[in-house]
Amino acid sequence: MLELAGIERDRVQLRRVSAAEGALFAQYVNDVSETTTAMGPFEKDKFQLQLAAMERAFNTRRLRWLTGMEYHLANHDNVYETRTSPELVGEILDEAIESEYHKGLILEVLKDGPLSVREMAEKTGLKVYTISKRLNELENDGLAEFDSHEGSTPKFISLAA
Amino acid sequence: MTENYEPKILAFLCNWCAYAGADLAGVSRFQYPPTLRVIRTMCSGRVDPLYVIEGLKTGYDGVFVSG
Repeated sequence: MLELAGIERDRVQLRRVSAAEGALFAQYVNDVSETTTAMGPFEKDKFQLQLAAMERAFNTRRLRWLTGMEYHLANHDNVYETRTSPELVGEILDEAIESEYHKGLILEVLKDGPLSVREMAEKTGLKVYTISKRLNELENDGLAEFDSHEGSTPKFISLAA
Repeated sequence: MTENYEPKILAFLCNWCAYAGADLAGVSRFQYPPTLRVIRTMCSGRVDPLYVIEGLKTGYDGVFVSG
């Protein structure tokens, strides 16, 4: 999702360290500090929209349910005694992340009032086709709806918090 | 970017592994730069993706999760 938001992937790091690996910890901190210095300061004000959209996305049912499930899905049989391949699990996750992030962007730009599809595309940087597709998903979930016409252009509003 | 720029990194360290590892690094006198701002959790599995976003929203230059 960081990639979708245009934030450097290396800003978030995950490392496994055991209690006995003091030297390893020091090495990781050195490495991560070096990598982070090279990227320069994080300009949070430039990413307000993206971070708000990411926050909305991580609060959705779909991502809350899928987070942490990758291992189980790829390594345990389901009730039909079949198993999802790790690649497919990855694809499912990628699709879910992209979908919820896009919808997060849309709900975020809709929070100040009704917008047309074209206006939403301009504010989010997404293509008109993508807005159309995600808006449809939001409507199906009862999170957005048609509001009014401005001339012949339909405007939509968010029903979410 | 000035020559003296030092990043501020929000670090979530789990009590039993990473925090203990960091403690050992200190006792063993291993050197590392003072870039981490540490929050100790009981388990790294407790770290919600929302915490990571909160860190970035606050303005940290990076988030480090270890366990």
